[in-house]
Amino acid sequence: MNKKIFLLILNLFLLGNISAQKTTLIMGGIAHLGTGEKIENSLIVVRDGKFDLVADASVVRIDPSAFDTIIRAYGKHIYPAFIAPNTTLGITEIDAVRASKDYNEVGSYNPNVRSQIAYNTDSKIIKTVRTNGVLVTQTTPRGGVISGLSSVMYLDGWNWEDATLKADDGIHLNWPSSFITSGWWAEPGKTSKNKNYDDRVKEIKNYFEIAKSYSEYDSKMDLELVSIKELFKGTRNLYIHANYANDIRESVRFFKKIGIKNIVIVGGRDALNAVSILKENNISIILERVHSLPVNEDASIDQFYKLPSQLSENNILFCLSYSGDMEAMGTRNLPFTAGTAVAYGLDMEKAIASISLNTAIILGIEKTTGSIEIGKNATFFISSGDALDMRTNNIELSFIKGIPVDLNNHQKELFKKYKNR
Amino acid sequence: MAFNIYIMKIFKILFLCLISISIFSQESFPRNGVKSTFSPIYAFTNAHLIISPDKEIINGTLLIQDDKIIDADSIVDIPKGAIIKDLKGDYVYPSFIDLYSDYGLPKAKRGEYNYRPQYESNKNGAFHWNQSIHPEINSAEQFVYDNKQAENYINSGFGVVLSHKQDGISRGTAVLVSLANQKEQKTVINDKAASCFSFKKGVSMQKYPSSLMGSIALLKQLFLDAYWYQNSNNTTNLSFNAFNSQLDLPHLFETSLVTDYNRIYQISDEFEIDFVIKGNGKEYERIEEIKSYEYPIILPLNFPLRYEINNPEESDILTLSKLKHWETAPFNPRVLSENGLNFCFTMSDLEKPSDFIKNLRTSIEKGLTKKDALQALTITPATLINEENRLGTLEIGKKANFIICSSDIFENGEIYENWTNGIQNIINEKTKNDVRGYYTFTAENISKTFTVSGKVSKLKMEEITSDSTSVKYEIEVKGNNIIFNSSDISLRGTAYFSDGIFTGRYQNLKGDNIPFSMTRDSIFQSTRKEFIMKYDTIIPSIWNPNKAYGNNYSISSLPTIFRNATVWTNENEGVTENTDVAINDGKIIAIGRNLIESEVFSKVKIPVQIIDASGKHLTCGIIDEHSHIAISKGVNEGSQAVTAEVEIGDAINPNDHNIYRQLAGGVTASQLLHGSANPIGGQSALIKLRWGGSAEEMKIEGADGFIKFALGENVKQSNWGNFNTIRFPQTRMGVEQVFYDAFYRAEAYKNLWNEYNDLPTSKKRKTVAPRADLELDALVEILNSKRFITCHSYVQSEINMLMHVADSMGFTINTFTHILEGYKLANKLKKHGAGASTFSDWWAYKFEVNDAIPYNASILNSKGVVTAINSDDAEMGRRLNQEAAKAVKYGGSSEEDAWKMVTLNPAILLHLENRMGSIKIGKDADIVIWSGNPLSVYSKVEKTFVDGKLLFDKTKNMELMKRDLKEKMRIINKMVNGNSDEETQKVEITEDHHYHCDTIEDYE
Repeated sequence: MNKKIFLLILNLFLLGNISAQKTTLIMGGIAHLGTGEKIENSLIVVRDGKFDLVADASVVRIDPSAFDTIIRAYGKHIYPAFIAPNTTLGITEIDAVRASKDYNEVGSYNPNVRSQIAYNTDSKIIKTVRTNGVLVTQTTPRGGVISGLSSVMYLDGWNWEDATLKADDGIHLNWPSSFITSGWWAEPGKTSKNKNYDDRVKEIKNYFEIAKSYSEYDSKMDLELVSIKELFKGTRNLYIHANYANDIRESVRFFKKIGIKNIVIVGGRDALNAVSILKENNISIILERVHSLPVNEDASIDQFYKLPSQLSENNILFCLSYSGDMEAMGTRNLPFTAGTAVAYGLDMEKAIASISLNTAIILGIEKTTGSIEIGKNATFFISSGDALDMRTNNIELSFIKGIPVDLNNHQKELFKKYKNR
Repeated sequence: MAFNIYIMKIFKILFLCLISISIFSQESFPRNGVKSTFSPIYAFTNAHLIISPDKEIINGTLLIQDDKIIDADSIVDIPKGAIIKDLKGDYVYPSFIDLYSDYGLPKAKRGEYNYRPQYESNKNGAFHWNQSIHPEINSAEQFVYDNKQAENYINSGFGVVLSHKQDGISRGTAVLVSLANQKEQKTVINDKAASCFSFKKGVSMQKYPSSLMGSIALLKQLFLDAYWYQNSNNTTNLSFNAFNSQLDLPHLFETSLVTDYNRIYQISDEFEIDFVIKGNGKEYERIEEIKSYEYPIILPLNFPLRYEINNPEESDILTLSKLKHWETAPFNPRVLSENGLNFCFTMSDLEKPSDFIKNLRTSIEKGLTKKDALQALTITPATLINEENRLGTLEIGKKANFIICSSDIFENGEIYENWTNGIQNIINEKTKNDVRGYYTFTAENISKTFTVSGKVSKLKMEEITSDSTSVKYEIEVKGNNIIFNSSDISLRGTAYFSDGIFTGRYQNLKGDNIPFSMTRDSIFQSTRKEFIMKYDTIIPSIWNPNKAYGNNYSISSLPTIFRNATVWTNENEGVTENTDVAINDGKIIAIGRNLIESEVFSKVKIPVQIIDASGKHLTCGIIDEHSHIAISKGVNEGSQAVTAEVEIGDAINPNDHNIYRQLAGGVTASQLLHGSANPIGGQSALIKLRWGGSAEEMKIEGADGFIKFALGENVKQSNWGNFNTIRFPQTRMGVEQVFYDAFYRAEAYKNLWNEYNDLPTSKKRKTVAPRADLELDALVEILNSKRFITCHSYVQSEINMLMHVADSMGFTINTFTHILEGYKLANKLKKHGAGASTFSDWWAYKFEVNDAIPYNASILNSKGVVTAINSDDAEMGRRLNQEAAKAVKYGGSSEEDAWKMVTLNPAILLHLENRMGSIKIGKDADIVIWSGNPLSVYSKVEKTFVDGKLLFDKTKNMELMKRDLKEKMRIINKMVNGNSDEETQKVEITEDHHYHCDTIEDYE
């Protein structure tokens, strides 16, 4: 038996030959399971890349000699992989360089374009994001009315195929906004009622009526509509990007009525004013960035800091995203937005769930990912301190399906090169 | 007495003779045919004459001849042959004067849009280099009588307007014109009555200025140049000639923001020029400040319409500031009046012309006195343009400009006639005959019954039939003649009215004309209530600023002891537990354990406030070295490569709610920086977040001057699209040369002035002073180490380059900001003496930030470079404590060092460390109380003090939210329950401006 015992100061190099087929015991860590529960002194066993045991060390006794690798994690925090939904991470590199951007295709209705194949596993940004605990992302196209198909991807892989956790998990639709802003990004003008709202909604409704008709007749191959068909079958999520309560209500009513099974609201800034329809239809929300300014000068200054806790009080299933300006490189701050949500009233373990299990449930990957539970993939990480606080977030080990992830990156290299110059 | 009256009469007769002689005046026009030159005298008798705000004659006579008033008194000898108009008690007022109009002038036209930026003037000729500066525009030369526009003014009671082409910054001269329909030779009263200014660039397509601060700098330079030009005679500039010839004219200055008053005052103070201000309707918001400037104000009556609120979402979107403005705006004239300001009214800025009289009356209902209103409509504007001898009252010798109204114009008086230059304009026919009543109609063998009811101006006629159905008629009365027409056209007639009987003919369906008579059996009893003014004179409370979270009372600095805090001193003591801190008069006065109140505050008489800070952390306020909040209309004067002349201090917006939000994040001071669109940007403003204060009050007294420089992609315009490839520099090579060029020019300029200043007094008097140049002045300050650079920078090569430029020119770069590759040349920074202010973890947004690493701050700090972490972002600015914490995470800085990166270190970089940046006796009481360790994501600000004043408090914040919601609902209810006939406007929301360095925009 080739046994290794690590005190977590050891680096990945030494962990290099942990493989999915072997067994690893992680002892003594504070395990945040992602389910809303926490084990202060945990015993976690990973076997064949899956969690084989998740237990309270004060209750269960185990013989360490039975494991290939033992990690002593006393006082350290163990988390399920954090998941960053609704982001362009992996399909963009430098904002100002057009050639590096692969997220916005020409045309208004692109339900067939797939982000999965543009996912760059060698993105320099990805390597700086996984160092903070984010190990899974939903790579999402932007633009148009239907931007395209997102895929759920691991932040590690030799190529997009083996980085794929779930391909083409859903279609992203930008519901027209009842209010629109004139001007441009640097100089926004007045926001007024969107005069074209009704027309644009009508256009979307027509489009989906035709798509439904197609899905029922199932005639010839239609590259565009065959993608929509999955929505009616319930094998693919419909992500409706909408913020105003009115838009949320109207879109949910329409898509429920036409028979789309799995609907998720993305954005949801005004969700508190649409609670009843969300609950009635069991709709969950991917929230926009918590670290955002209030909607206007009257709004509570901590409007979006406390929104997660308010949604939680209303028993709405939600998860956090980091979408917005500089979302790809900023995704490494996703855990800290959950930290802010805690500061503003959300229970700590629920906050962790909002970037792990909740996200997994919403994206439909909860059978394998999202929490530290027996039978799930061992995609998790260990931090020397509380990972939701930038003051203590310090990821020492990360695993995707039981295999250690390289936590080095371009920035760390430069740090090493210059710190002792 | 009798003798006096006798003398007066003689005087009047003499006067009349004089007038009569001059009245048969000569004309310079050739005449086609025979034309009478006789000017009759009009006598308006039985008039209620309002001669002036101070003089009223209940029953008098007004005599006019040609365009002059020749008498107005209670007893007047009516000359023979005068045309007598019996006004039967109608009110006569001097007509109104509007000083802010573009009547009769063509609109300025914008040139065709060109994708390529236009840096130089497209205007040919010996004019100013900038197309928004055109004092040579003479509005009189372009003035043409305009019937339609004149009607709008005449219908509202105006007789004379001051008109100018409302385009550009220096706009040229305004023409004073009568609204009479006469040849322009007669209606132009004064062809150059004022010169006009604004901060608006107008239709000029030239890039400069692209910001409010740019407009201000351009204007200041214009004043300097025009002065210098007077004495230097080597070139000719028609714009300067024009400008200099207008110095004695009244100067009109347009505002669009209430904060513009201060901006104008700064100019007025510096160049000793007085202005008449065109107001904007929000003066009440900062009345104390505006009062202190003592400017006369031309006030628009642009009261907002009530909002149409159809659903809760719209009511959410409608902000409290808009609601408060809706409620308070009608009080604005009264507030000005009660504060002793000299103001007049303008029709400008109205949604539609008929709003003028309506809103004028609303102002009266809100407590403006009629006397003050009339003063503002007549004498004040006349005096402001030095025409008080010709205009503004009904006194003898003045222009025959007056209006005739049915009753008090400030209540419900209807304007019948408006006489301009002695020419009648009928606005509403005064219906002499009230024909309303119940009539019996007889013709041949028909007999019918009619009622004529309604308003005199809008009659209703109805036939009452036996089966109680009714047939409606249209009826029109002109003098004694009436025309009527049944709705089923079975009966159409004309008749003459006399003594209660109509006699005339009607036409039936067959076409027969049949004579009829219609006798009034009884007079119509009007059910209309008597008109009563709806006074509503309680001025709503005005907050500072007048919006959500504004202060509704003044906050003072109280003597205070914070007990038992964990104090982050930023001094040698480090973080100390169970420590007390005492403050008084805005300063820290004691620090220690168990401070004894009576010792610390031995001289203080008022009660000392004790704040229990057990379990809390106490720190000094956060200082944001790089902020773009609280700036009005443009953070970048990104037009030219060098714009050292512009000052952010000219564009501070003290009403920005981000000030309050950042106080809630523990920020107490900020450097408001110019953007990074050009190598040499503008001068910074160092402010404290004194929420509720004015722009001037925000500025940190005695702070050193700073200026923004920038390098890299932004100044090269790399990401501005394919058309922006004209401006030098487009490469890093060019950037270096821009700096050398600027500083060589500055050095030459400095020498020029030094030579001049060194001249002996006698010689100096004979020598023309060199031209003052605001741009070079700022650069000379840098050379003299009187102004300090914060330079936007990314890659190491350019940082190195700028340090070489500075070293060779003999100055030091104070701070490199962003400086994301600073870690690569920390040793060089240290050697040069530059500090660094960086982002915690931003990168990958541009090609040049590829090597940006979050370890930057820690490395720089460890190598002894004074290092700060800044925001450059309104959202992040309120979480700078979290950003500092990232220096612990990335690179392992100690917690105290990390904390200094957002407090003491930026204070050092801004030369404010002797009064801010640590908890030390004698420093400013800028204090933050945190719920826990300030570096933790879980800690929240509980209280923020600036200069000892509690400007944010967690508990008070909750109260303010409740107060704001209550106030909002109160006003919405008032609005919903108000007059439903009133017009409404749709709910619109204005997005906030959030500036970053890269924010480029075109300001108009």
